[in-house]
Amino acid sequence: MSASRGRQLRALVRKDLQLEARTRETVTAMALFALVAMVVFQFAVGQRSDDATGVAGGIIWATIALAAVLGVGRTWVPEREQRVLHGVLVAPVPRLVMLIARVIVLWLFLLAIEVLIVPLGVVFFVHDASPEGLALVAGLCAVANLAIAVPGALLASMSVFSRARELVIPVLLLPALVPVVIAAAGGTHAVLGPEVQMAEFLGYCRFLAVCAAVFCLVAYATFDHVLDD
Amino acid sequence: MSLTTDTTRPAAPRHILALGVLSAVLMGLAVVGALGIAPEDADQGVVQRIFYFHVAVAIASMVAFGVGCVAGIVFLRRGTTLWDDIGVSSVEVGLVYSVLTIITGSIWAKGAWGVWWRWDDVRLVSFLLIILLYAAYFVLRGSAEPDRQARFGAVYAVFAFAAVPLSFYSVRIAQSFIHPVVFTSKGANMPGSMLVWFVVSLAGFLCLFATLVAVEVQQRRAQRALERLKRRFDHVH
Amino acid sequence: MVRVRGLGHAFAGRRVLAGLDLDVPAGQRVAVVGPNGAGKSTLLSIVATLLTPREGTVEVDGARYPDGVRDARARIGYLGHDPQVYLDLTPAQNLRLFGDLYGVTGLAARIHDALAAVGLLARAHDPVRTFSRGMAQRLGIARMGLHDPGLLLLDEPYTGLDADGSRLLDGVVAATSRDATVVMVTHDLDRARTLCDRVVMIHRGRVAWDVPAGDVDLPALAARYEQATR
Repeated sequence: MSASRGRQLRALVRKDLQLEARTRETVTAMALFALVAMVVFQFAVGQRSDDATGVAGGIIWATIALAAVLGVGRTWVPEREQRVLHGVLVAPVPRLVMLIARVIVLWLFLLAIEVLIVPLGVVFFVHDASPEGLALVAGLCAVANLAIAVPGALLASMSVFSRARELVIPVLLLPALVPVVIAAAGGTHAVLGPEVQMAEFLGYCRFLAVCAAVFCLVAYATFDHVLDD
Repeated sequence: MSLTTDTTRPAAPRHILALGVLSAVLMGLAVVGALGIAPEDADQGVVQRIFYFHVAVAIASMVAFGVGCVAGIVFLRRGTTLWDDIGVSSVEVGLVYSVLTIITGSIWAKGAWGVWWRWDDVRLVSFLLIILLYAAYFVLRGSAEPDRQARFGAVYAVFAFAAVPLSFYSVRIAQSFIHPVVFTSKGANMPGSMLVWFVVSLAGFLCLFATLVAVEVQQRRAQRALERLKRRFDHVH
Repeated sequence: MVRVRGLGHAFAGRRVLAGLDLDVPAGQRVAVVGPNGAGKSTLLSIVATLLTPREGTVEVDGARYPDGVRDARARIGYLGHDPQVYLDLTPAQNLRLFGDLYGVTGLAARIHDALAAVGLLARAHDPVRTFSRGMAQRLGIARMGLHDPGLLLLDEPYTGLDADGSRLLDGVVAATSRDATVVMVTHDLDRARTLCDRVVMIHRGRVAWDVPAGDVDLPALAARYEQATR
């Protein structure tokens, strides 16, 4: 009797979505936090001028990065609080499958809050955004989420075995996310203005893809050493 | 047991002494050369002389983080404590060097532009990110379960080193975001008389790095031997 | 079935196992007893693949660690103090998850049978959080046996079980052990003697005493235990 990896992966993702559907803790907290952070940013920096188009991308992505810290912090929490960690670890699941499941779930959670945060950010800060620009931002989200979810999943798995994990995660994750935030903000800025600057946008997307690829490679190479003792 | 041979050797091993002397000589030479012998920069005057230390220590810190990454990979493969010791010590020295890079860079910025900090100085900003990245290394090690500290440290050393080029590049594109001017690297064509002292300074910092790592490795080893001895003592009583 | 050789382990420098050897032939039920801190749970965690041994080798059904860990995991059923199920999921969801992770075939029918066997069929779609400790542990028993493990590793599984649950677990151990091997860590000397074929006492990280269960009477076992604890 040997389990297929696809079946294990589906089971692990479904489990996290079922848990989220029952408790609604993580996505709700991430979305509310992002909303609050956006309002704070507006009063901190946006209010200086009437047109905040120039800082919209920055505010949106700084907000998403902070919300991501929250989401990453919740990873593995059910396993710890409900004491299932050993039950999951003794199952014959390749550790890479566990990592990929975490990445997929984080990716979905990020997408869920972006559906709310990006349009709101546009309404709040951008005067005349084109539908075309919004569609491009959606594409950018897909890549950027991967570049956030992969380091998030890797670092969260290390913090499971650490004290004060809620302190450790922001300190670990945010420095690694700075390049992602810079590029995602730049890309968003390039297409949310009065005109769509396609070449610039693609350049940022390419850099985000490189970030995601580098993080994937590191995670792939090191993950075996993280979960098993 | 190896315990007794470890603890009854009080003098510093010869390689540490040799490295220490070599670093002292090179650093002395670098100070004399950079401050006294090298020609003064026509545009920037005396403040430009900090370049010899600023750039050298910046490069040396990258080398240190690189060694930390390699030590991490070797540790994950072999699991020997020696490579963990080398990894931690390298990251420690790399972090100190990064701080020195920022301090010297800040002094240079004050001399050249009259301000301590400029967000459009790519090197300053990049190294700020790198300090944040590597400070997290010690936070992670400090909070990880004792039996996992070495492994997590190794994983993070690899992770952080992979993130370094991303940070550098992202700071550059953030600059073009603010000022659409292409970044030109300073000192790309420096005269030979400057290059010599720059190389001496770089060699000095690299040698000092090797010395500090060797001392730290020795110290960690001694610490462990001491703990073993303590435990044995407790056991007897 | 289980072959442990020269097993050594330390936590933060403190030695817990010191060159432990243990052989468990297929189909045998072994009770591992010993004072707190003797290394019982560490031994079980290592055999359950939760910990990597620092010294020595472990082999389960011919699969040697660490290379054969995944093969071994598929054959092991593990139950600790905690039921190891998600409290925010229902029993059906939990068993579906673990069935998928272990690649169990004909899962729907098996889940039904397993829930019926532990008397939780009526509560199959209530979140486990609403269960009593004993009920949750019964679900843990169902989870442990879902994939027909050839080796049951039980780490003080009676902790938190009510009388019904204990009887149920006794039954599971007695029934499966006709074709499955059982290694059980316990403080319950009486249960160790009556339920198992063999009693192994661990003290200071080594096997201190190893006898067929039929040969021990309770006072002798208790005396040995006392002696070791002192």
